[in-house]
Amino acid sequence: MYDVIVIGTGPGGYHAAIRAAQLGKKVLAIEADAVGGVCLNVGCIPTKALLHAAEEVENARKAAEFGLEFGEPKVDLNKLGSWRDGIVKRLTGGVQTLFKANKVELKRGFARFVGPKKLEVNGEVVEGRSIIIATGSEPATLPGFEPDEQGILTSTGALKIEEGVPKRFLAIGAGAIGLEFASIMNRFGAEVTVVEFMPQILPGSDAEVANLLARILGKQGITIKTQTKAVGYEKKKDGYHVTLEHVETGAQEEIVVDKILVAVGRRPRTQGLGLEAAGVEVDAKGFIKVNDRMETSVPGVYAIGDVARPPLLAHKAMKEGLVAAENAAGGNAVFDYQIPGVVYTSPEWAAVGMTEEEAREKGINVKVGKFPLTASGRAMTLGATEGVIKLVGDADTDLLLGVHIVAPEASDLIAEAALALEMAATVTDLALTVHAHPTLAESVMEAAEHFHKQAIHIANR
Amino acid sequence: ERRLIPAAPSIRRLARELGVDIHRIEGTGIAGRITEEDVRRAAGQAPAP
Repeated sequence: MYDVIVIGTGPGGYHAAIRAAQLGKKVLAIEADAVGGVCLNVGCIPTKALLHAAEEVENARKAAEFGLEFGEPKVDLNKLGSWRDGIVKRLTGGVQTLFKANKVELKRGFARFVGPKKLEVNGEVVEGRSIIIATGSEPATLPGFEPDEQGILTSTGALKIEEGVPKRFLAIGAGAIGLEFASIMNRFGAEVTVVEFMPQILPGSDAEVANLLARILGKQGITIKTQTKAVGYEKKKDGYHVTLEHVETGAQEEIVVDKILVAVGRRPRTQGLGLEAAGVEVDAKGFIKVNDRMETSVPGVYAIGDVARPPLLAHKAMKEGLVAAENAAGGNAVFDYQIPGVVYTSPEWAAVGMTEEEAREKGINVKVGKFPLTASGRAMTLGATEGVIKLVGDADTDLLLGVHIVAPEASDLIAEAALALEMAATVTDLALTVHAHPTLAESVMEAAEHFHKQAIHIANR
Repeated sequence: ERRLIPAAPSIRRLARELGVDIHRIEGTGIAGRITEEDVRRAAGQAPAP
């Protein structure tokens, strides 16, 4: 009898397992595939490795501007592939080391519920006082574009850069995955098109900031078509002839590409888990229903991460894992945190809190502050002045509501904004915090000053 | 729908530990921020000396 059994060792699962063990519980973690889950094996980590390499290629080209000549960079794709694999191996090995250090037992196999607190793995039945379901998600499919990982790829297939950079690349879906692979392929020399069904890239995010990122990526040579869907393709000798259709006008066009990435979303992985045997309820989209304590409909059974609810982000799963583990250990934790989102294109996009649109819909007296990177000394010294910091705040209370960034290192800059929101900082608090000069982070302070129409480095219109 | 809770994570956790619904507390801090004292007062605890 275990105190806690965690199904899945992705970001959510390994966090839950380790925290439960830290709290003195006897923990079993079960993994059907690779330890570390999607993020470490075929998600966050390998994509960020490729994005870094791709950005260095671009930086080498751009260095000519200040007199540093490398010539056209040559990329050994096999070497890049093994470097990527090495990082993955080190990190997934690290998770297993952490399990050992925390006395978390690891069992390899596919777990299936045979009762509310009973699981069957490899023909053996294991029982836990608490069960934490962390089975993750898998790429959603698009009718007419069934992936074969040869020409029609999911994100997993697109990671295999050693199989060659396509001459012409199409990404269906302008979310984080579509845009990040578009950036990688563009930097490595592919002709890249991205189609998005919705009117803007990164649907649901602050429209003004998303549209700025779309313009910047466009200037880099990526063709972005919004309000466009891919309706089908024909495979011919010279490539995939894909039919695109404008969502409103119905106008069709054909483009020819060598590889197609289907990045239209992800779906929760609950199939074969035997949730019915446990009585665990699932919603219409297949996510396991949970409350903010991460409890499912069955007492003592928790669900976290991608299988529980969107947004499908690693850091959200990690924190949900901690909340579930603490509750399984008798605590009283809830998930009531701000969740930043990041896209690792260059420049990067990052946001946390409310968009301007959301704040207006809530009837808040919205005010915004903006600071363009063109006015940032640090951005100039980095040769990267494209981008903006946009703050959304409440004009009546001065409380900060949201921060939206397109900038180099936006992924790191957003942490300050998340802390500000957690601490219920006012825009004045942000403006009064002394930011080191010259840094990109100063632009957050200046955007806060602009909110009050007193930024120093721009005219305050 | 929940309103924005103007309270730091540690304050929100304290409220849970003391069995106080943070959504029902009116903050007395700047911009309506909920302080540790606000939470302790709502929990019926005497403010710290």
